[in-house]
Amino acid sequence: MIELLIALTVGIPTLAGVAAWFAGGRRATELALGGLAIALVSGLALSGLVFANGPVRALDGLVLIDAFGAYMLILVLVVAGIAVAGSPAHLAHEQEADRLRRHDAGRYYALLLWFVAGLAAVPLLDNLGLVWVGIEATTIVSALLVGFARTPDAIEAAWKYLILGSIGIGFALLGTLLLYASSVGVLGETSDALDWTRLTEIAPRLDPGLVRLAFVFALAGYGTKAGLVPFHTWLPDAHSQAPSPISALLSGAGLAVALYALARFHLVTVGALGPSFSSTLLVGFGLLSLAVALPFIVAQGDLKRLLAYSSIEHLGLATLALGFGGQLALLGFSLHLICHGLAKATVFLAAGRLVAERGSRRIGRLGDSLARSPADGRALVVAALVLAGLPPSGIFVAELAILFGGVQAGWGLAAAGAATILALAAAGLLFHVVRVSVGPAGPLGEPCASAGAWAVLLAIPLGVVVVAGLWTPSPLAAALEQVTIVLGGGGG
Amino acid sequence: MTIDPRSASEIVDVCAAAIVVLGVGLAATRSIGRSIWLVAIQSALVGMAAVTVGLATGAGHLLTGGLLAIGVKGVVVPLVLGSILRRSAVRRERHPILGPRASLIAAVAIIFVATAAANGASLGASVAARSALPAAIAEVLTGLLIVMTRRKALSLVVGLLVFENGVALTAFSLTYGMPFVVELGVLFDLLIAVVVAWVYARRMLDVLGSTSTDQLRSLRG
Repeated sequence: MIELLIALTVGIPTLAGVAAWFAGGRRATELALGGLAIALVSGLALSGLVFANGPVRALDGLVLIDAFGAYMLILVLVVAGIAVAGSPAHLAHEQEADRLRRHDAGRYYALLLWFVAGLAAVPLLDNLGLVWVGIEATTIVSALLVGFARTPDAIEAAWKYLILGSIGIGFALLGTLLLYASSVGVLGETSDALDWTRLTEIAPRLDPGLVRLAFVFALAGYGTKAGLVPFHTWLPDAHSQAPSPISALLSGAGLAVALYALARFHLVTVGALGPSFSSTLLVGFGLLSLAVALPFIVAQGDLKRLLAYSSIEHLGLATLALGFGGQLALLGFSLHLICHGLAKATVFLAAGRLVAERGSRRIGRLGDSLARSPADGRALVVAALVLAGLPPSGIFVAELAILFGGVQAGWGLAAAGAATILALAAAGLLFHVVRVSVGPAGPLGEPCASAGAWAVLLAIPLGVVVVAGLWTPSPLAAALEQVTIVLGGGGG
Repeated sequence: MTIDPRSASEIVDVCAAAIVVLGVGLAATRSIGRSIWLVAIQSALVGMAAVTVGLATGAGHLLTGGLLAIGVKGVVVPLVLGSILRRSAVRRERHPILGPRASLIAAVAIIFVATAAANGASLGASVAARSALPAAIAEVLTGLLIVMTRRKALSLVVGLLVFENGVALTAFSLTYGMPFVVELGVLFDLLIAVVVAWVYARRMLDVLGSTSTDQLRSLRG
């Protein structure tokens, strides 16, 4: 039963991707939507089992899903659902503009599905070496997607992403190797020497010097993939140049999965060295990301880059929360990451349509969007209010929890600094979004065909995020509680 | 065929020394063609060191991994890079960010830093670790140096390969190589990474008319 669900979650998108590569056109769209629907349903069932009955082990210990893994799986699949559902509209517009070659639609869906399969596989794996392989694979596939438009700018962005991503992934491998070296000293050369469950158990006996070094390399490596400053330079380019549904997936789920891998390293490091070493580093890099993202948000002229820097800000906040530790901050972390994923994925779709309509990403040329393209304009405004952390929304509650949790855990100064930066960044984000929504209009473009289904697609995730700030159903609250316990170092 | 541990460790010593010397050459050369040759030899030497340790310890996954590395990174990848170079107008790194002389000095400085760092770490319990670990750290840093100071797309790929050689050498000097499944995954990914880079280099040829990343400067802020 469990094996079947795992096979459906990861295997079906992979196979549907292979089929879409050869099918192309309308058939590829159907394959992508169908494949993802199956993966979503089985992934949700799998996560439900974990939340109901505790951690699940399968396939000879290759797969181990605890509450944190189940949570990440849901996040990945839901964000992927938004991205895939937003893809036909994007491709249709590209088709009209005559920018699509013959096989492009099939290739696009194939790469997208493989990207989703890779992201979904990572939180299921017990072995940190295989986690690394999964993240490396997603890097390769997503680099192809970033450069999909084949314009010189898109190729520059993909090239930067590929080179920086490879260096980052190399560092992550070094971190993994060092951790392996430390565990071989304790366990001998067994096949489970890189399983994070085993590593967490034996953490107090690991060589502290090696673990310290391993965490630093993992921070640089997975930090690159998660867009932490100063390893973030690829991110604004990749997010602004990629097709908008890909930006949605990259930003909503891709960054979070890299942070997931870093969090596993963090848990092992806390077990081996006590909380101070890795927590301090996470708080430091989280604050740095917030601080560096701020001026780029305030002085931004490009809508998609604005959203990209907002992702750096939010991932910085999540990293900060992980560093703070403590039940309240970690609860904030788990609520924040999924709300950010939903809101950011939606806003990238809306922004992508606006940009496609006007043929420009410049904020100054996108004015009066509320009147001209109501569905996208409204989604943009709501998402910006949510991402700015205004109540009522899940992100507002999560930010409060993180900041208060930080004060509780003795990080008062860092929390105060973060609060200031968040307020300023919110002001910057809202200023730009006001310009886009009601500001002076730029040149008129061709309006995209607007369907009711599109407005619904944008409204549902945003609605969920807003409602999450007012009311949490008890199973969801219990699930988040379980994630918090895992992140607090209890239960594996 | 087996090798006794003492001669194995001598062979690894020689390989490590040669790898470091090639790294200095890679940092100092401006000819892209030559750098492809050098990195091919370097990759093959990393593979040979792995094979030697594999024979000495009877570790099958090291043997297979080493042979694969020789085949993929020593032969296939350089041939692909060479074929791109032949179609490209750019043969030399004309205006690197750091000139060849400064790069040479930096590469030598890296060797000292790496040796000091490896001595400070005092990790090595295995035969390979003593000489291979400093060489591994040196190649990781040399790869970074090349990636940071060159402008041409092919030079960046060469820098990445040097970096990967350093990582691979670290892998087996620290741990005798990881279990086979993971190692295969590593190599497989590497192969795909290079193929993708190759596709991009070709797309760059189409769009920009050369494999120079000089023109890739429009995305800012």
